Amino acid sequence: MGSNENKNIDYDQGTVSTVQLHDSVRRENALPREGSGTVGISIIAISALVLIFGGGQLFSGANGFSDSIYVSDYYEAAPRPSLGGDIGEAAEVAWIDSWAKDGKKVYGNCIACHQASGLGIPGQFPPLVGSEWVDGGTTRLGAILLHGASGAFKVGGQTYNGLMPAWNTLPDEKIAQVISYVRREFGSLPEGEDGVVTTEMIKAAREQFSGQTVPYLESELLAIPEGEMLPGAKVDLQTGEPLEG
Amino acid sequence: MTSEQPTPEEMSERAAIDRSARFPVLFFFTSAAAWLLVATLLGFFSSLKLCVPGLWDNCQFMGYGRLFPAHMNALVYGWAMQAGLGVVLWLMARLSRNKIEHPVALIVAGALWNAGVTLSVVTVWFGFGNSVPLLDFPAWVWPIMAIAYALVVVWILPMFRSRGESLIYVSEMFVLGAVVWFPWIFITANLLINKGTAPVMAAGASAWFITNLSYFWMAPIALAIAYYIIPKITGRAIFSYPLAQVSFWILAALSGWTGFARYMGGPFPAWMSAVSGTASIFILLAIIVTVVNLLMTLKGATKIWEFSPSLRFTVFGMLMLAVYGLLSAMSSTYIFGKSLQFSHFVVGLDTLAFYGFFSMTVFGAIYFIVPRITGNEWPSGKRIRTHFWFSTYGIITLVVCMLIGGIAQGGSLSQWNQAFSTSFVTSSAYVAGRCIAWALISFSNFLFLYQLALMFIGKGRKTSGPTLIHAEPGKVESAKAAAGLN
Repeated sequence: MGSNENKNIDYDQGTVSTVQLHDSVRRENALPREGSGTVGISIIAISALVLIFGGGQLFSGANGFSDSIYVSDYYEAAPRPSLGGDIGEAAEVAWIDSWAKDGKKVYGNCIACHQASGLGIPGQFPPLVGSEWVDGGTTRLGAILLHGASGAFKVGGQTYNGLMPAWNTLPDEKIAQVISYVRREFGSLPEGEDGVVTTEMIKAAREQFSGQTVPYLESELLAIPEGEMLPGAKVDLQTGEPLEG
Repeated sequence: MTSEQPTPEEMSERAAIDRSARFPVLFFFTSAAAWLLVATLLGFFSSLKLCVPGLWDNCQFMGYGRLFPAHMNALVYGWAMQAGLGVVLWLMARLSRNKIEHPVALIVAGALWNAGVTLSVVTVWFGFGNSVPLLDFPAWVWPIMAIAYALVVVWILPMFRSRGESLIYVSEMFVLGAVVWFPWIFITANLLINKGTAPVMAAGASAWFITNLSYFWMAPIALAIAYYIIPKITGRAIFSYPLAQVSFWILAALSGWTGFARYMGGPFPAWMSAVSGTASIFILLAIIVTVVNLLMTLKGATKIWEFSPSLRFTVFGMLMLAVYGLLSAMSSTYIFGKSLQFSHFVVGLDTLAFYGFFSMTVFGAIYFIVPRITGNEWPSGKRIRTHFWFSTYGIITLVVCMLIGGIAQGGSLSQWNQAFSTSFVTSSAYVAGRCIAWALISFSNFLFLYQLALMFIGKGRKTSGPTLIHAEPGKVESAKAAAGLN
């Protein structure tokens, strides 16, 4: 029946009796258009709540709309699993661990020559492991870090001829961290020596060597008394607080 | 509130429009339904793989990493886009009172789109994907899809321009919005991930694209359907026309801001996820407005919903849209988001959008449109009922399992002192639920495709009177009377 029906209709002219049209056309309602109901106060109140809640989310989470802040204030860093223990204990990270970890990051600047192992490259770049400059006093080491070294340079019985750049553009804290890391990681320190150099010590060194403008020669460094330590108080390795005396 | 009877001229005009829409719209619906069956089966197998990880261990094509992206691509590009295009074509023709002039060109464009979808599914399945969700096909595939899309849309926009009514109905606004927003998000996201931006940006672009697919393609089409079909079937005007327009403008203004909330605490400036979370929350306004509007329109018409397949699917879809909006806003806040992100919850949320609100509403539209364009009635009301209940049970099971499983998994993930594998063990029971859900949905879609195929080859019922969900003797007459006929 359906197919006969279709043949009898001239759709294009639109002149057909509705009886001939298929039932689905006949039974279909027109599309009513003009509803103009209004909503009650409760809907407006709920909408206002949504807006308030959304605004709270926006302004508390956006951290001042800074492009350089990546983590919302809502987040707490997870405690470090490597330390073991439950969350309460683990939240207490020893000062020296974070100090040395930051130092390791700064050491990223040194890896190209001295290598991640601290062994350097034989014949080209001197090692830090087994180096008397690392094991010895911090004054000489501080001077090298701040202003660099050039010319013939004897390390562990081998003579190297290169240029160590000056790192005095780094802040005191980073220099202190990297020296602490290098001495603790690669040095062989005497009994009772923790290898830590503080920001305060580097600040003092910067003043002491402020006259230097070019890298040191070996002879100039050797003029600094062997074993001389930078002035400044030792610190408690757990808390990072200066120790008395 | 009941509308006046249409005149004979109006009726024959409708019949002419429907006849002109017949082949292109049926083409889109049928190929979409075929892809939907493929997608649901892939969804079932990928969930089974999660459930029983050792299954098919030595077959690279049956790994989760291949099955799941192929499933998503088939579901979105094969089903959701094509079914959406079919609905958009028919709605625009009806609302602008224009016949569809170039059915052959539309079918050719549709075939090109299908070629693009096939390529996207097959390349991903064969391991050439780049693992960016929903944009993971090789870079040369997306221009094919973009061109095919343009070749379809180029016939839709002129229909709107030469519309036969001065008043733009709200469904027309939604249809037009969806049609112009999709190419924007599709091209932007693809350019961002393929043109040498940072890998981090690819993740952001993908999250932005997926969220906007829901708010800029699926939600507008679902709303266009709801605002068209509900007045049509109940014979009542939308409760408040201005409110319907408000929901459109809220969606238009805010959707583009969403998406980055999926990477809170991730490698993006904190304000990006805060702003995007806020946009998700503000979109709730559009949802509230819609729910109130539709509920007031439907008030006292619940009898019709018992019998009319179109109305039942559409209303259920709108209910799911409200749930989607709520869950989406909830997971965009820091309180919930920090443990829900990167968990099963996200899969559940996406599936809720793609299957829960979009597909269910589109089923409603298809049950309304196809009898009109083919001149046949649906073969079996019983099968429609089965389709509805299996889909409903399936999607509810899936969303509930993924929500609770996501909370379990996310909670476990954020405990540093638990092994990573614990997060999978705690959520494994819910993954089994997801597997069962896809089995139910696959079955229901097999029935749907079967019915649609019967309609396609002209084997529908040739009687007068709509196919209703309940057809027991005695109920039919009261149903027809109440339903104002489908």
